[in-house]
Amino acid sequence: MMTSQKHRDFVAEPMGEKPVRSLAGIGEVLGKKLEDKGFDKAYVVLGQFLVLKKDEDLFREWLKDTCGASAKQSRDCFGCLREWCDAFL
Amino acid sequence: PSAAAAAAAAASAAQQLSDEELFSQLRRYGLSPGPVTESTRPVYLKKLKKLREEEQQPPPQQQHRTGGRSAKTRNNNNNNTAAVGAPPGAGAAAAAAGMGGRPLSGDLSYLRTSGALSRGLASAPDNPPGAAAAAAGATAAPALAAGGSKVLLGFSSDESDAEASPRDQASGGRKERAALQSRGGAKPAPLADGEAGPGQPAERRKPHAWWGARRPASAPEPLGAAGREGAPEDAEEGGDGGGGGGGGGEREPEGEELRWTSRPVNGSRLLPFSCRENYSDSEEEEEQDNVAVARPLFRDDSLLRPRPRRSHGKPPAGVRGEAPHPATATAGGCPGSDRAAGSLDRRRGPEEGGGCDPLDCSPIPRYRLNSKKPTPLLPDGDLTLDRKTNNHIGRGGFHLDPPRVYANSIPHSSLVASASSSPLGINHSNHTGSNHTYLKNTYQQKLSEPEEELLQQFKREEVSTPGGFSAHYLSMFLLTAACLFFLILGLTYLGMRGTGVSEDRALIKSPFDETFEKIQANEKNLMMNSLYKLHDRLAQVAGDHECGNSIQRRLSVQEVAAYLKDLGPEYEDVFNMSLQWILENGKDVGIRCIGNGSSEDLTNITDVQFLQSTRPQMSFWCRFRRAFVTVTHRLLLLCLLLLLCFVLHYVKYHWTKEEEETRQMYDMVIKIIDVLRSHNDACQENKDLQPYMPIPHVRDSLIPPPDRKKMKKVWDRAVDFLAADESRVRTETQRIGGVDFLVWRWIQPAASRDKILVVPSKVWQGQAFHLDRRNSPPNSLTPCLKIRNMFDPVMEIGDHWHLAIQEAILEKCSDNDGIVHIAVDRNSCEGCVYVKCLSPEYAGKAFKALHGSWFDGKLVTVKYLRLDRYHHRFPQALTCNVPLKPSNKHMNSMSHLRLQTGTANSQGSS
Repeated sequence: MMTSQKHRDFVAEPMGEKPVRSLAGIGEVLGKKLEDKGFDKAYVVLGQFLVLKKDEDLFREWLKDTCGASAKQSRDCFGCLREWCDAFL
Repeated sequence: PSAAAAAAAAASAAQQLSDEELFSQLRRYGLSPGPVTESTRPVYLKKLKKLREEEQQPPPQQQHRTGGRSAKTRNNNNNNTAAVGAPPGAGAAAAAAGMGGRPLSGDLSYLRTSGALSRGLASAPDNPPGAAAAAAGATAAPALAAGGSKVLLGFSSDESDAEASPRDQASGGRKERAALQSRGGAKPAPLADGEAGPGQPAERRKPHAWWGARRPASAPEPLGAAGREGAPEDAEEGGDGGGGGGGGGEREPEGEELRWTSRPVNGSRLLPFSCRENYSDSEEEEEQDNVAVARPLFRDDSLLRPRPRRSHGKPPAGVRGEAPHPATATAGGCPGSDRAAGSLDRRRGPEEGGGCDPLDCSPIPRYRLNSKKPTPLLPDGDLTLDRKTNNHIGRGGFHLDPPRVYANSIPHSSLVASASSSPLGINHSNHTGSNHTYLKNTYQQKLSEPEEELLQQFKREEVSTPGGFSAHYLSMFLLTAACLFFLILGLTYLGMRGTGVSEDRALIKSPFDETFEKIQANEKNLMMNSLYKLHDRLAQVAGDHECGNSIQRRLSVQEVAAYLKDLGPEYEDVFNMSLQWILENGKDVGIRCIGNGSSEDLTNITDVQFLQSTRPQMSFWCRFRRAFVTVTHRLLLLCLLLLLCFVLHYVKYHWTKEEEETRQMYDMVIKIIDVLRSHNDACQENKDLQPYMPIPHVRDSLIPPPDRKKMKKVWDRAVDFLAADESRVRTETQRIGGVDFLVWRWIQPAASRDKILVVPSKVWQGQAFHLDRRNSPPNSLTPCLKIRNMFDPVMEIGDHWHLAIQEAILEKCSDNDGIVHIAVDRNSCEGCVYVKCLSPEYAGKAFKALHGSWFDGKLVTVKYLRLDRYHHRFPQALTCNVPLKPSNKHMNSMSHLRLQTGTANSQGSS
């Protein structure tokens, strides 16, 4: 499993007040869109992730609908959050 | 319908599900959904939809889907959270827009035709109204194009090249407009036909319909038809293709399509009906770039054009006869960059001509007027065209336009002459100024008249010659004057040399002053006279000798005496005295006394045997000849000297150049070897690469394009050197992509595994972040740690790598004496290592040392484990209480850190 540097950076420590763009798979464009929808911090997205009971399909679907994430981006984000949860939750 | 209604009802009902109902519905499908909040609602709705579809039958499912989606799109137009119908809704929206667009296109077509007609009838420059119409059309067209482009103009993006695709869209849009305005409103059927199918069928139908529409349109307006150059011609032939002479006619539309399909779309080229300003924009830049290309085109067009003309002997032949002029003119004005076949060129010619003046002919004369400064074209092409057009004048006399047009064109010949003759290279220094202005104008104009230019050229030649003559004469005159001057100078000089005898007289006279006291006056005169005579005689003799006429240079004393006696008896007496005087006189008087021996010491007159003149008197011609010979000899000598010098310099220069080239060659060889070696290394790692490299590729990667020609010699020498003297490189031939290449293969086996040393493995590489309250637990919770990401089990080789891992951990926590048990989970995909410490404090210290550090390129993370779980997993750890130490003092895993300055060694910021 090849993880990006962003993924590793995020998963290495509690997210705290990190912005939503620090999530793996979320770049400038998607970050902006999420922020416009109110998901300005990573923990808010985490909240959504948890609300969807960490379900991959649902979360990725939600991400795609909310900010137009591609399959890869949503996969990266999901993986990032899941792993973070495994590590810190 | 009922099913659809029911489905629609269900869909709309789904819209109004409350959260609880949605929740329960989802539960029914076996899902265990999370809370339905405003953000999760759409996702769950989609899920519900999907689940419902899966349980239903496919046919009702389709209707349901479309109905539901259309309902959805109507309700939620842009919101992507209303995602149920969004993706198919986009397609439906496009379809709806397309359908809405089609009636709009019909309206637009009316607009366009009316605008076009008005444009045609207007005598004023029609560019502004055309521009306005085009602008109006342009704003509407993108909407149309956007909506209909998917369906209508699919062929343009299907068929043409990818790189031209944005232009395809644009030109496709224009084509759309063109097609629309062509249809006029007369034929909605072809409209529908043309729009019916994207891809080839539409394209095929479109030209036909377009031409079919053109034909009736052209009939009422003969002038207008003439304007639509290519179009009526094509329409004729298209119609003929439908009717009698079908072969030619049918060929052309196919050629048309072929061109449309095969060539990348260039809007100006393919659009007969594009607006002129668009056309002119693209034309201008094309003109400026490709004026040269216009010339061959002319030739092709001229050669090919007679054929269709002669095949159709109809009244519109006159049209066609006229057509080539704007056609060729515009072709010259707007040359294409690729001209695949003559027939295609031919097609493009008339079409481009049509494009330039789309709708009618009445602007043509004006156009021609404007284009009085045509693009410069080759005279031979013009000649042929002239011939053809003359044919047409004779044959198509029944049409009014050609003569009228020609009449218009001829008066402007004078203007055109200067412009057209400039490329001919005639010497017109006087007219270069006017040429430049005319040239500029040509670039701005599109049409040109070949026979006009022809006339112009002839006139121009006549005009230019007188001026040229004067200039020519002036230069010749100057040259001859200079030559004459130098000649006269030389002759004068030589003439002066020839008349040196008088000087000698003066010379003789001067030395007399000293030695004359002893001699009496009358004897003095006599002596002088005799001396003069003697001098002359001797000079003559010497001159004869010098000139090669006689062999004797000097006169013996007896001969001199005899000569003097001949002259007069009194001279004889004075002879001895003269001789004496000459001897005594040390200076050179023009006479030299020579004795028997070679010595110059003559003490007595009796020793004198010969007299010789030191200043021979020669004829002018002789002098000239001698002078000439001397000069030539000296010149030759000088030349030889120069040559020698030159040769020396050249040899030196050559030698240094050779040195330089050899040095460059060796540099190149070294670079090539480096490239090949590195390529070989890359091939070792990546087995997908070919182990050889084509020679041209290496050259192109080493030498930048501007230097390639310069370095060609160096490169070739390097190649030869490698072939001959480099054993590690083998030259062979390989077939790459179907083409044989000479390639180089590096054949030295990788000697040493020195790469391993380069990248140290299993070393600590620093800390990713400082540990503080946020990213680490505030206090140590348990004495057990789980360390993640220490290794990748897939990558590890050997049996004892886990020992290295253990060592690394121990070394990292070397100051920590509390580690009692380490277990490397060799099978974990996350690279987990379990550590047990004596107490939570030690665990905390270890945590700080390990968490967030880079090890072997991986970020290590640590977390606390519950003790009982740890013991459950590792029973042997229950009894461990001896602190572990690194096995040796080398601290290999810390070697990388030791090099760094201090910060890495700080075991966390505690």
